[in-house]
Amino acid sequence: MEEKTFHESWYRIANQRICLRPSVRVQRQMFRGSKWYVLRDPFSNQFYRLRPRTYQFVSRLNASRTLEEVWKEDMSRDPENAPGQGDIIELLAQLYHANLLHYNLAANSVKLFERYKKKKQRIIKANLMNIMFFRIPLFDPDEFLKRLMPFIRFLLNPYGAAAWVLMLLLGLKVAIDNFAQLQVQSQGILSPSNLFLLYVGLVIIKTIHEFGHAFVVRRFDGEVHTMGVMFLIFNPLPYMDASAAWSFRNKWKRVLVGSAGMIFELFVAACAIIIWAFTGPGIIHSLAYNMVFIASVSTILFNINPLLRFDGYYILSDLLDMPNLHQQASQHLKYLVEHYAFGLKNLETPATNKREAYILTTFGILSGIYRIFVFSAILLFVADRFLLAGIIMALICAVAWVITPIVKLIQYLAASPRLYRKRVRAVTVCASTFAVIFGFLYYCPFPYNFKAPGVLKSVDYMVAVNKTSGKVIQIITPSGTQVQPGDPLLKMENPELGLKIRENQAGLDEARALHKKAMQEQQADLKPLASRIEFFNKRLKRLYYEQDQLVLRSDIQGIWISPNVKDFVGMWIPRGTPVGQLVNENNYYFDSVVAQADVSQLFSHGIRGTQVKLHGQANISIPVKEYTSIPMEQTRLPSAALGWSGGGEIAIDTTDNQGVKTAEPFYQVRATIDTDTNASLFHGRSGKIRFKLAAKPLLWQGWRKLRQLIQRRYQV
Amino acid sequence: MTTLTTDHRRTAIKTPTPLLTGLDAGIYSIAGRYHRRPALLKNLLRMAEDIDAQAALWKEKTDEALKEKLQGFREIFRRHKKDHEQAPPMALAAIREASDRHLGLRPYKVQLAGALALYKGHVAEMATGEGKTLTAGLAGVLWGWMGFPCHIITVNDYLADRDANWLSPLYNFCGVSVGCVTGEMDPTTRRQGYLNDVTYTTCKEIVADFLRDRLWMDTLQHTGRRQIQALAGRVRDIERGLVMRGIHTAVVDEADSIFIDEAVTPLIISRARENEPFVQACRAAYKIAETLEPNKDYRIDKQYKDIELMPSLDDRLTELTRDMPDMFRGPGRRNELIQQALNAKEFFHRDSQYVIQKDKIVIVDEFTGRLMPQRTWRAGLHQMVEAKEKLNITPPSETMARLSFQRFYRFFHKLAGMTGTAHEAASEFWHIYGLPVMTVPLNKPCRRTVYPRQIHADQQSKWKAVVDDIVNMHKQGRPVLIGTRSVKTSEELSKKLGLQGLTCHVLNAVRHKEEAKIVSRAGLQGAITVATNMAGRGTDIKLGEGVAALGGLHVIATECHESARIDRQLFGRSARQGDPGSARSYVSMEDELIVRYVPKPIRETIIKQLQKNTKLSHWTGNKAVKWAQSKAQRIAYYRRRSVLRTDTWLEDSLSFAHGDIAE
Repeated sequence: MEEKTFHESWYRIANQRICLRPSVRVQRQMFRGSKWYVLRDPFSNQFYRLRPRTYQFVSRLNASRTLEEVWKEDMSRDPENAPGQGDIIELLAQLYHANLLHYNLAANSVKLFERYKKKKQRIIKANLMNIMFFRIPLFDPDEFLKRLMPFIRFLLNPYGAAAWVLMLLLGLKVAIDNFAQLQVQSQGILSPSNLFLLYVGLVIIKTIHEFGHAFVVRRFDGEVHTMGVMFLIFNPLPYMDASAAWSFRNKWKRVLVGSAGMIFELFVAACAIIIWAFTGPGIIHSLAYNMVFIASVSTILFNINPLLRFDGYYILSDLLDMPNLHQQASQHLKYLVEHYAFGLKNLETPATNKREAYILTTFGILSGIYRIFVFSAILLFVADRFLLAGIIMALICAVAWVITPIVKLIQYLAASPRLYRKRVRAVTVCASTFAVIFGFLYYCPFPYNFKAPGVLKSVDYMVAVNKTSGKVIQIITPSGTQVQPGDPLLKMENPELGLKIRENQAGLDEARALHKKAMQEQQADLKPLASRIEFFNKRLKRLYYEQDQLVLRSDIQGIWISPNVKDFVGMWIPRGTPVGQLVNENNYYFDSVVAQADVSQLFSHGIRGTQVKLHGQANISIPVKEYTSIPMEQTRLPSAALGWSGGGEIAIDTTDNQGVKTAEPFYQVRATIDTDTNASLFHGRSGKIRFKLAAKPLLWQGWRKLRQLIQRRYQV
Repeated sequence: MTTLTTDHRRTAIKTPTPLLTGLDAGIYSIAGRYHRRPALLKNLLRMAEDIDAQAALWKEKTDEALKEKLQGFREIFRRHKKDHEQAPPMALAAIREASDRHLGLRPYKVQLAGALALYKGHVAEMATGEGKTLTAGLAGVLWGWMGFPCHIITVNDYLADRDANWLSPLYNFCGVSVGCVTGEMDPTTRRQGYLNDVTYTTCKEIVADFLRDRLWMDTLQHTGRRQIQALAGRVRDIERGLVMRGIHTAVVDEADSIFIDEAVTPLIISRARENEPFVQACRAAYKIAETLEPNKDYRIDKQYKDIELMPSLDDRLTELTRDMPDMFRGPGRRNELIQQALNAKEFFHRDSQYVIQKDKIVIVDEFTGRLMPQRTWRAGLHQMVEAKEKLNITPPSETMARLSFQRFYRFFHKLAGMTGTAHEAASEFWHIYGLPVMTVPLNKPCRRTVYPRQIHADQQSKWKAVVDDIVNMHKQGRPVLIGTRSVKTSEELSKKLGLQGLTCHVLNAVRHKEEAKIVSRAGLQGAITVATNMAGRGTDIKLGEGVAALGGLHVIATECHESARIDRQLFGRSARQGDPGSARSYVSMEDELIVRYVPKPIRETIIKQLQKNTKLSHWTGNKAVKWAQSKAQRIAYYRRRSVLRTDTWLEDSLSFAHGDIAE
């Protein structure tokens, strides 16, 4: 227990004459329903918050009286609540660090320089740790903003707000009208050819966004002194320091500053969508589209999301009246761990009531999980995209986000003076938590499976081809009808064929007559004439067959599919023209393409089950009756739909214009599927087959995935 | 006429390197191990051999020639030239010869090695009777030549005076002026004492003079500021009130006592001040504390000496403190006061932590067992203890300046130390003061038998064994020295021995007046001396006629101290300078050390084992003692380190206020 009423080091300051700097401004402010006094030095833009009772003491400080005198007076006026000597020492130390104190002699300059050096080192260190959000301040936009004041006033008023709402509604209407077109165009947004425009759009939108913040701060007479470039995952983007808003007394003003970026951004997006809708394809059109895309996506994913430290976070923090929400949440979580898990006593939580404790806990856990998610996504993204440099960057990030916290935890456990009575317990709790997590990941088996893309194919499938040339005169069976073998599909006519038959018939008649004559007169001619009859007979037989084939019939049971069959009517089609398909829907198999990385599992581990899911019907899993793998490397896809050029996920050889030759060899697995399912089966539909393997611990699965990734990306 | 340099040196202090944390501390501690590596000692011993080899060469020289040579060395050292790095061994050879001629003492090789270790800024671990005074004198000559203020810190005024006088022929012959500063001197003689090249003084004096000088200088502690003031013609004649000429080099005797045990006890310059409301509040608070019950109203943490008030007590306290002065009625301040009262009630006991003399509380130093009449506990606590003993409550005095030894010695540019027991605390010496420890071998092999520690389940059997041991040794005619941890136990043991028909001399804080007499008799045949830690550090017990033949002095430690170093100090009273001797320590599982630091389940298991007298019991008991001692030391170290951290923080955060040491 610290004794605070009397402090051993009080003598050091007892006879000093200290007061606040004359330039320090004081404001009364409400935070979370309680009163605070905010001290602010406009020269250094430093802030400090005080409780009313502490402020009462600070307000008594006067350069003509010693600290001892002030303290005694304060003590005599309100002895029960007066701050003790220890409290005052702490308070003055903090005010001194915030450069808010005036003292009659120059301070120890060595210490001042030391502090300055430390501060600079801290900034460099923080920048390095935050390399994914690296900031370079460039200039002071305040003068510029002041000059823009008339313009700002013109924008920011109730009329401006009304115009904003109107514009947004208009934009929304245009968006709904052109929704289909919007959707179609979004597919190409990340294609390499569009990246430059996307980035230009991003810079424009973000510049407007930042100026939005700055305008509103300036509008409420705050000062904006820093503007610069932030490297967000190495993409240079503008940023602005709007921290002057923290001193706004009205929380709604602070909220407005926080949302100003998005307000301006959305306005621009509304303008852009109108431009997009009324221009034809071209640079302006694409740029407008990109800006709309960025404004909507970045607002939803980042800006409004309070779990990352973007606008949404500050807005939430202001709405809840809980400044430093993030810091407080982590302090609160630390408190919970130290108090309940380590059993430390005499700790203080930043939460002043149950509601706050609840908010801080929820926020802390959610943002923690979200950060882990975002950071690992960034790590993988960076490592994936930037090759060697990417690995180095990823390593730096891994140091900053993974190793440093671990080292800090170890340091904390090993050396933190807070723990010195409960160190054994703290270490035990941490070690066992890690052991439990590790054990869970290492020993507890989880369903494990791998997937392979493929296409559905019908076993009985044929292309209906006319076996004789002719002019189509009638469609007997419409496309999509179930047909039996022998059912007529369409009828053709061929007048030439009739003439040929008559010609041959005449020839036959002639030959027969000659044959009869020869039997009586010339016995020697009999043999050649018999063969001639034979010839005509054969020929006629074929011609009759061809005539018969003028009605195209189905060979198999199935569905007659020929969507454009009507176009054939009146058209002469040569023999062998495919006019449609006959597909038997009772018998399908699924032809899948298994990557080399996965194939070993297919052979070495027992497959516990397989199922197929088709694209567009992912909710229905189709059971597989049996599967056979063809034990041979292949390079030709069973369908072009599986390759990149067909919208599939398999890398194909770019020199192949058919789009079926793969970049890497694969193995083909053919699975017969159970047709007794709710899924609608169509020949040629792509999907995925899932092989269920013996359950494996998550750590094993993750390690395998990582190794595969590294092997595939870097050929190691 | 003061030159700019002397003026600057007056206040030039080293800016202490901040305490390292985390990985840096880890690397620094590896560096510490490197600086303590055994090869260094070997190196120094080889140098000592070399010096010894030159002896004949120096012996031939006349006094004149020797003096001239010494003068030459003095020039080299004063110039701080590069060649002065090779100079110490050569110079030491000359000083050794001078010592032989003018003191009649020829430093041993180990003393030469010790002097080199000191000169290089080590803590030299040298046993009692190995000639630390002469060793420090040798290094003192080297430093004296350099011209920086050099202070040799002795344990008490008597030693400061004696050492300075005894060594002055050597110093004078070598061209170094020597003087001493002791408690009773007036400012003028003090100034004279400090003006010498080498000054012998005590820790208390040097810190007090340092603080007084700083108080006198007030805002002019900075050379730059003094010069500017002088240029502005507004100079105040500060020289008149100053006694010291600055600090630069120091050798501290009994270094572990000052650097570690006493490190955080601050020296305070204060003035008395009336504070009636506070005195009243203390009296009232203690009265309330007396009515509270442990485990019902508050919890006691024995290990950390901490009191925790139960939340249920709050309402009752509001009721009880209704009549207190205004200032102490708020819940925070009230609890603070009650807690302090409970501290006084639970952890401070008469004849252990303090004695009462002339209706005043006199603190007994935990490590030395001596009375500290000038010392008081912090504001509040002292008053509570006075309230406890129903004495007149003295108002807390007002601090004007304070400085802990820990902070003070970090201001020195060059620091060295000597003690008999250092290696246990090597890591702390290194981390706090940057001092590597070097164990200097003995001149003659040690003939002390240390018997295995005896572990007992309870106090009763322990004391029985102790008495048996005394009786046994007494029958052999050997003198016995028995160490106890408090005044109370020393008196109790004396009674027990009385029942056996043995007479003994008791040396403790209360009977300190006969100290010299008792110590001089303690080595005689058949003498039995019961003493607190007073008989540890620095006590030189000479063996009587024929005692060496009987086996020398037998030392019994009846309880282990929290620091193994203090136990070793007591053992060091026997078998000095090649004499025979023996030592044994006794521990019971009910001793305070064990109760405080060994968890209850483990303690109970050991007690059960001891009662069954299994083979393992001795081993586990021994381990438990060692564990308790190391834990106690660790906790004490953390406490000292956190005091230092707080000091550093304050220094940094209050650097705008000129009430502190600066430059």
